[in-house]
Amino acid sequence: MFELKPMLSALWRNKVAALLIALQLALTLAIVSNATVIVKDRLTSMARPTGMDIENIIAITFMPVPTNYDMAGAVRADLDMMRSMPGVVDASVTNQIPVSGSGSASGYFLEPNAELGDVTANYYQTDPNFINTLGLNLIQGRNFRLDEMRVRGSNESGGANVAIVTQRFAEQAFPEESALGKFLYHGNDDKPIEIIGIVERHLGAWPSWSLAGNVVFHPLLVEGNHKRYLVRTEPGKRDTIFKQLETKLSERDPQRVIHLETLTEKLASTYVADNIMVKVLSAVMTLLTFIVALGIVGLTIFWINQRAKQIGVRRALGATRANISRYYLVENTVIATTGLVLGTAGALIINQLMVSEFSQPAMPLPMLAVCAVILLAVSLAAALVPALRAANISPAMATRSV
Amino acid sequence: MIGYYISLAMRSLRGTPILSALMIAAIAVGVGASMTVLTLNYMMSQNALAHKNDVLYAVQLDSWDPNEGFARSNNEIPYQLTYQDATALLRSDIPTRQVAMHRFGFTVTRENTDARPFTAQTRVTTRDFFALFDVPFLYGGTWEHKADTSPTKSVVLSKRTNEKLFGGENSVGSIVELNGMPFTVVGVIDQWNPSPKVYDLNNDPFSDSEELFVPFGLHRQLEIHSWGNTNGWNSGDNGLDGYEGFLQGEGVWIQYWVELENQQQKENYEAFLTGYIRGQKEQGRFQRPLNFVLTPPSEWLVLNEVLDNDNRVLGWAAIAFLLVCVVNAVALMLAKFLRKAPEAGVRRALGASRNAIFSQHLIESGCIGVLGGILGIGLSMLGLSGLRTLAMGQMDKVATMDWVMMFAAVGLAILASLLAGLYPAWRISRTNPSVYLKTQ
Repeated sequence: MFELKPMLSALWRNKVAALLIALQLALTLAIVSNATVIVKDRLTSMARPTGMDIENIIAITFMPVPTNYDMAGAVRADLDMMRSMPGVVDASVTNQIPVSGSGSASGYFLEPNAELGDVTANYYQTDPNFINTLGLNLIQGRNFRLDEMRVRGSNESGGANVAIVTQRFAEQAFPEESALGKFLYHGNDDKPIEIIGIVERHLGAWPSWSLAGNVVFHPLLVEGNHKRYLVRTEPGKRDTIFKQLETKLSERDPQRVIHLETLTEKLASTYVADNIMVKVLSAVMTLLTFIVALGIVGLTIFWINQRAKQIGVRRALGATRANISRYYLVENTVIATTGLVLGTAGALIINQLMVSEFSQPAMPLPMLAVCAVILLAVSLAAALVPALRAANISPAMATRSV
Repeated sequence: MIGYYISLAMRSLRGTPILSALMIAAIAVGVGASMTVLTLNYMMSQNALAHKNDVLYAVQLDSWDPNEGFARSNNEIPYQLTYQDATALLRSDIPTRQVAMHRFGFTVTRENTDARPFTAQTRVTTRDFFALFDVPFLYGGTWEHKADTSPTKSVVLSKRTNEKLFGGENSVGSIVELNGMPFTVVGVIDQWNPSPKVYDLNNDPFSDSEELFVPFGLHRQLEIHSWGNTNGWNSGDNGLDGYEGFLQGEGVWIQYWVELENQQQKENYEAFLTGYIRGQKEQGRFQRPLNFVLTPPSEWLVLNEVLDNDNRVLGWAAIAFLLVCVVNAVALMLAKFLRKAPEAGVRRALGASRNAIFSQHLIESGCIGVLGGILGIGLSMLGLSGLRTLAMGQMDKVATMDWVMMFAAVGLAILASLLAGLYPAWRISRTNPSVYLKTQ
């Protein structure tokens, strides 16, 4: 009923134009489906929870001017001052800013004096206020006590003897049992570090790291040539507090350089590369679909103009307007389907390359199918206007000579 | 004749404004999108040391964990050296020039001024740094030789730092306070900001170059740690405490470059490195198989993946995008040219050769290419400024178009449109004139 046979033989005589449309759709499907895989992967990774009250946290880095500086004293005075400010929920000292892309990692062993088989984690040197400051969810055990806090110079050895870890780290280090009360060691030493608490999650310093979420916290203050603070404010007060902190910190001690950032800002700049991939690939997908649609409109109009006389003849012989429109829509479907079948093969080949050469995620078949259906719909929509116009060609065309 | 064809082409473009606009838009969008990404990749893979590619080498020694290779580098050898190896290599007189260095930071103040203190990105380096990397001096020069091994409080300022502190005057001999200690200015460099920073690809290769340069001999006196990557595998003690224990430890944090002018010199240096590692093996270090690598700048950029997977994927996406636009333009041009077939038929009947018809139509596609290319430059500038915004300042130096890329854009557009016009022009040149003459 769809006049498939005459349609196919007509197409065969005009194969170059049909082929060009099919080819465009094939290439578009191959590109769009692969871009969708990447975009979806990046969006998922950017949407991962950080485990923190990220909106309300300010990060401060400061560096004293003189070399002989009482770092421990300054940290104590600053924290007291900040914690007493109205609008500040809590403040904590840290060796690194969460999600900043810069921090420290170490291997932890489960046996003393071991050389092999360590579990790698991002580690924080912080204090008993950090859980409250970051807004972490302590699911097992207890927080650090003030008497567990250690202070040491940057070149002295020795660390803390307690740790709080993330659930992810706990599961990786002790897969079968509870990590609470277990001990961790550094390589080549036998000083045990007891795990006293487990927090639900914390993304750590490097969100794009393959081990992101493996985090260990220690109650330790290492004096060095710079220090960092994290400050959590009450909701909505972050920006006001931000300005106050700048003045108050430099008033308390003008002999230093202070730099303040919000964690929201930090997170955005950490995800810059992913964000660029998402935006550029989305733009490519949109433009591509648009251009292909325009191409189909242009070519179908031309094609119908060329066949105006033939349409007139068919109308004169009794074909209804609906018959004529349907003919061109079915023809478009045949071409588009051919292109999309070719494109499916192309998409899978390209995805193979993406996985092996560029370590991108593999393509789930349902996603490919969805992309193909969307492109088929776009192609039909593009053909609709010219097809409806074709139906308006009057039967009198049959009598005209072009 | 070409002039006549161009005027014919323009007339033909005006004759079918919608179809022509679609074709120009297809080429422009294709060129615009692909040039945005290709410009970025081209700027990111620039080699500021290309002219010294035959004589400069980054040095890597495999001092890593006996149990496993250095997983973070592509050749499984650490990108940086330990302090003890760097200072040992500095004693060799084989290389013409050699540089051991790393990133650091100081607070900067000047006595008797009320300028606010600021933190300056600093490079702790040996004196050859400036000559080896062709850093131009505005005033003064590098520090004396002994400053590389013994503590000398000298400093070289960047042009911008000199402007900030001294208003751009010749500050050689003046004093600035770094971390509160007086340092004597020995030199001011001229504008110098290679992108990417081939000399240090470890920490954000597209950031600005350093504001201060201080001698390598200061480590012990100031207990300097790196402000860049410091990687270690051996956390055990080596019998030394405190900072000395850190310096003599197995942590890698020093970048090392040498200048070797000819093959002979290079072979001598390789022999020296082999001998050095053998000697260290006897003392129980370097327990992995004997391995070192000397890498010229162009390969150093590749090894450090300045152009990462994301950039490559975007590059291919851009090329594929352009390809679709070209196929699109082929279809549209075919439609347009075939519609003009009667005109071509008449010209043929009046004596025009097939070649003439072919070149006339190819020139018409070329005109579409030029217009599409110019529009494409505009679009890619828009695209690049979009990228700069998205990158939050991290790509200001690379997301810009230079003259080379502008010409490349027009060239690419013309190439794309000629490619697109090839088949339609051939097709039209083959038309049989009699068909059209009959119905006129």
